[in-house]
Formats: sequence, structure tokens, C-alpha cells
Amino acid sequence: MMISILPTAFIFIAAALVLGLLPKGNVRGVILLITPILAAWQIWNLPVGIFAQVEFVGQTLDMMRVDKLSRIFGLIFCLAAFLGNLYAWHVRDFIQQIAALLYAGAAIGAVFAGDLITLFFYWEGTALASVFLIWARRTEGSYHTGMRYLIIQITSGVILLAGTALLYRETGSITFERMTLGSLGTWLIFLSFGIKCAFPLLHNWLQDSYPAATITGTVILSAFTTKLAVYALARGFAGTELLIYIGAVMTLFPIFFAEIENDLRRVLAYSLNNQLGFMVVGIGVGTEMAINGTASHAFAHILYKALLFMSVGAVMLRTGTSKASELGGLCRTMPRTAIFCLIGAASISAFPLFSGFVTKSLIMDETANQHYPIIWAILVFASAGVLSHSGIKIPYFTFFGHDSGLRPNEAPIHMQMAMGFTAFLCVFIGVYPEPLYALLPYEVVYRPYTMSHVVGQLQLLCFALLAFAVLMRRGIHPPEIRAVNLDVDWIYRRFIPTFYNIIYNSVAKVFIFIEAVIISVIQMTIKGLYKLHGPETGVSRMRGVGAMVMWVAILLGVALISSYF
Amino acid sequence: MDLNQSDKTNEFSRLGKTLCWFTKTENANKIFLGLALFCFALFLADFTYHKHGHFFIEEIPGFYAAYGFFMFTLLIMGAKALRFIIKRPENYYGDKAVDSEDYPADQLEQGSK
Repeated sequence: MMISILPTAFIFIAAALVLGLLPKGNVRGVILLITPILAAWQIWNLPVGIFAQVEFVGQTLDMMRVDKLSRIFGLIFCLAAFLGNLYAWHVRDFIQQIAALLYAGAAIGAVFAGDLITLFFYWEGTALASVFLIWARRTEGSYHTGMRYLIIQITSGVILLAGTALLYRETGSITFERMTLGSLGTWLIFLSFGIKCAFPLLHNWLQDSYPAATITGTVILSAFTTKLAVYALARGFAGTELLIYIGAVMTLFPIFFAEIENDLRRVLAYSLNNQLGFMVVGIGVGTEMAINGTASHAFAHILYKALLFMSVGAVMLRTGTSKASELGGLCRTMPRTAIFCLIGAASISAFPLFSGFVTKSLIMDETANQHYPIIWAILVFASAGVLSHSGIKIPYFTFFGHDSGLRPNEAPIHMQMAMGFTAFLCVFIGVYPEPLYALLPYEVVYRPYTMSHVVGQLQLLCFALLAFAVLMRRGIHPPEIRAVNLDVDWIYRRFIPTFYNIIYNSVAKVFIFIEAVIISVIQMTIKGLYKLHGPETGVSRMRGVGAMVMWVAILLGVALISSYF
Repeated sequence: MDLNQSDKTNEFSRLGKTLCWFTKTENANKIFLGLALFCFALFLADFTYHKHGHFFIEEIPGFYAAYGFFMFTLLIMGAKALRFIIKRPENYYGDKAVDSEDYPADQLEQGSK
């Protein structure tokens, strides 16, 4: 066993242990803020290479593989953990604090895993730690949602382990490197990544669980699991053409669902799914520029998505709801939160000077460069769709629109700081993308600010805004109403339980019928025997001596009479 | 807790008052007109420079404008149709689902102006 350097994940695990020894209050909050800074400092200073190799049942586990791809994901995870913990400064719930630390640690551990066994351990670690951010809401609804979430996440890990075992038998190696789809082992690993990445039809754990977590828990959840899956796909399956089509579907279908969803945190979960689609397309295209696009978009996305979840969370903290039908007009008393939300909205919609603009275009341009016109057209449509739900719906129906009459206080100061810092980063990346580009896995030769690009993007977004305004004025835009919408989770929340009940009841009915038949046969037999041999009737009836004498007399009488003829 | 205590704009912060401007009905037309003019200017801007896209369709003046406008409308119409099929009452999944339960009040910090 040889450990030359401490894996970054261990910093988080150590901090989680220390946290329990400290008194409740701000001291713990400080630890939660310092840990990601320390981790980021370590990642920043590590040279490229493989460290912390451990012998484990005859295999060498690479616990720290540092290269430019793992480094950028490691850094953004540290940044997300810092911002999430700052946002959650007021939380005194020990379980949530521990979960936040271990979850971030596990995600960072997985990013630096150089082999599939280490990846598996951290992969399951993220599932186990993160579910407590859902359960911490401490309601029956969140308990059930958490169970569904945990089952799906753990299943993803088990499939990963099965795939790893098959791959090891096939190749004799457990190194986590680029794979080609073909054998069952690689397909299983692909499926495992796909579950966590919320591929179409495997996606619904995301929209089910994120709105069920605590206010601060959702902000933390939004950063790690899915982007870990994006990283894993970029590492293992870059250039797999199938991913282009999967990604395109992912960008497309959530925008329709997001448009009619009432719970704004679920709208954001659909929107997250759509953003993952862009990244998955980038991985599928697989060129250096496309992978750069995916990595940079993941980086920018974690920030603006967290910012949007933070602003809706702040509204929820003050009003108790995140349902669009109950909100509106909050810009009067929560103006700063409104501004931060608008910055997040502009960033995700990819307005020029905001972060989404300088990262998403890398993926879209490369899709066009590699001649996928239909995919490109879908991505442009999906970009207008992003504007629709995240760019317009979230800020408009929360802070503007119809006045709900609510006059809540502005968000607490630490939440404003977290949102302000995140918003600053969104604008900074948009205005000055070079530092982010320098962090990317490959050299960037790209200028986002060209006349064509800026005017084209502004036209797309502003005319979509114009369409929104026209539809609102005409009353065509669908109103926000209290309702839930069916999605794939209907299969396991409604159809399977109902189907199970039908099968159960049918089988039970057959058994009850057979039982009834057997019982009635037995009863009839008993009754028959009773009838035949019972004391009152049939053969065993006791007959008096007088009756016999009478019958003998009748018989003799008959014989006597007959003898005369 | 009553969150609807006052409607006096002078109790809002300066930033709040500024943002208030956008919510007033009398300003809705101004905002709409401003947006329409800006869109028109963007359309005209297409004639002022040499466009270079990956596909010929990108070089048609106003392509992105038309695509954005029509696809957005299509999206809204599609979503409306989808809602017709998949909309269910809020308590569809029963009382033990997060959609039909309140967020625990002890985890909130409500307060109003």
C-alpha cells in the first residue's frame, strides 16, 4: 500500500468527522466553507498525473488521477460546495451539514477515480449521502420520494459494478478510460451512467426528487450527481454517436414539460435535464472542441442553475411555497433576489455577456461544424425553449406578472451573498471567458463574440420574447394552475402499483374461488353422508318394533289375500 | 402568518420601487413597444454585415428571428396540447406526496413588510 498524497475526497470525509466534535452554530458553518476552499487549493496545485495508488484485492486502485478534464470538474464541484454551504449558512441541521460535505466529497472522489472500482465506491457514496438532503425535509412525502431516489441511484451503482466485472473478465483491466460500446459490460456501464445523467425515460428521478429536498438541499443536489455522470460519459464514451441523438432528445422533451409545470423547482429540474442534453450532444460529437464545450457548459451550468435554485429557494424560505400559481409580484419586496434570478435566467438563456452564451455556443458550433444539421436545428429550438421556462417563466411568474399580494422580506443576508457571488461569476464568465477557456481539457481556438453570433443569438431570444409577449397579451399562453403532470414516474408510482393490485386481486380471487369450491364440496359430502347416515334420516334411522310388526302383519295380510286368487 | 400587510410603495426599497415600474399595467404597452422596436432593429442589423454561418439557411436575413418567433409559438402550443393529456389534480399521487403537503413551517423563515 502506497499513498503518496491524500485524495481530495478524504479532506471532506475528515471535515465531516471533525464537524461532529464541534459545537453547533457558526463554527460548523465555517468548517463547511473552509473545506471546499482547501480542496480547491489542493486540486489547483496538483500536477497532472496519477497519485494515491492503493493495492486492493490484487488490483491497483488509482484514487487520484489528475488531468485537465478531472481538474475542471473537481474545481467546479469545490466551488459549488462552497456556494451551496454559504447559502445554507443558517441551517443548523447536523444531518444536512454532514450530507452536504460527504456528498461533495464523494462526487469529487469519483471525478478523480482512475479505475472503475474506485468510481463505483464514490458513485454509491453520492447516492447514499445525497438522499439525506431529501429526507431532511422530514415529511412523509419526502420519505417516499427519497426511497424512490435511493433505489434508482443504488441500482445505477449496481449496474456499474456488474459492467465493471464483465469488462474485467473481457479485458483484464479495471482502468477507467475511453470505451467503445459493444460488449455487454460496456453497455451496462453506459446504462449506469445514463441513469445518473437522466437519459430520456430514465430521467424522472430528477424531477421527482429535487423538488422534494430541503430548500438548501436542492441547491446542493443540483450541482453534483448529474454533472458527475456527464464527466463519466465524457471520460468513457466521448465520440459515441448514439449520445448525439440521446442528447438531442434530452434537450427537446423537457422544455414542453417545464412549460406547463407549476412547481418552479420542478421546472428547474426539467430545465436541468434539458441543459444536460446539450452536454451529452457535445460528448457524442466527441471532438476536442465539443468536449471543451461540454466541460465549459457544465462549469457555467452548475453556477447559473445553482443561482436559479437559490433564488426560488429564497422565495420558498420567505413564502413557504415554490408554486407559480401562488406567487407573483415579489420584485416589490425581494428586489435583489429578483435581480439575481434575472442574471441566472439571462445566463441559462445564453444572452450575450452572460455565461451560457460563451459555453453553449462551443457545443452548437461544433455540432454544425461536424455536419449534423437536424441536431443543430433541434439545439437552436431547445435554446429558445430554455428561454421560455428558465428565462421567462421563473422570473416572470415569481417576481413580476400578476400580483399575488405577498410582501415577503428580502432573502437573508448570507443567501444574498451566495446569490450575489454566483451571479457575479455568471457575468464574469460571460464578459471575460478566457480564464474558463484556459481551464478546459484542450486548447480553445474560439471567439464567441462575433457579429453573426451576437446578432443571431439576440434575434433568436428577443423574437422568442416577442412571441411570449404576444401570446400573453392574447391570453394564449397557458396559465399557471395547481396541478401535477404525468411523466415516466407514473409507471412506477401509479401503473405498477395498480397493475400489481389487479394481479394480486385476480390471483386472490382465483384462490378464494377454489377454496370456496373445495369447502362447498366438503360441505356437500358431509351433508350427504349426514342425510344418509344421520340419526334423523336415511339408512341409520332407528325404527320402532311396532312399525316392524305392523309391516310384517301387512306383508302377511297381503300374502294371505293373494292366496285366495 | 399574514404576508399581505401593506401595499404602500413607499415602504419598498429603492430597487423595489424601480422594479415596480415593470409591473404597472400602464407601462405594459411601453415595454411591448420597446421590445418590438428592439426586435425590428435586430432584424435590420442583419443587412449591415456579412453573415457567415455553417448552413446556407443561416445567411437568410432574419432567419434566427423567424425561427425564434415561430418555434416559441410552436412550443407553447405543443405544451398546451400536452397539458390537455397529462394534467392531473394536485393530489393525484395521494396525500403522502410532496405535491400535496406543505413545506414544514419550522424550516421556513417567513416574514413580511
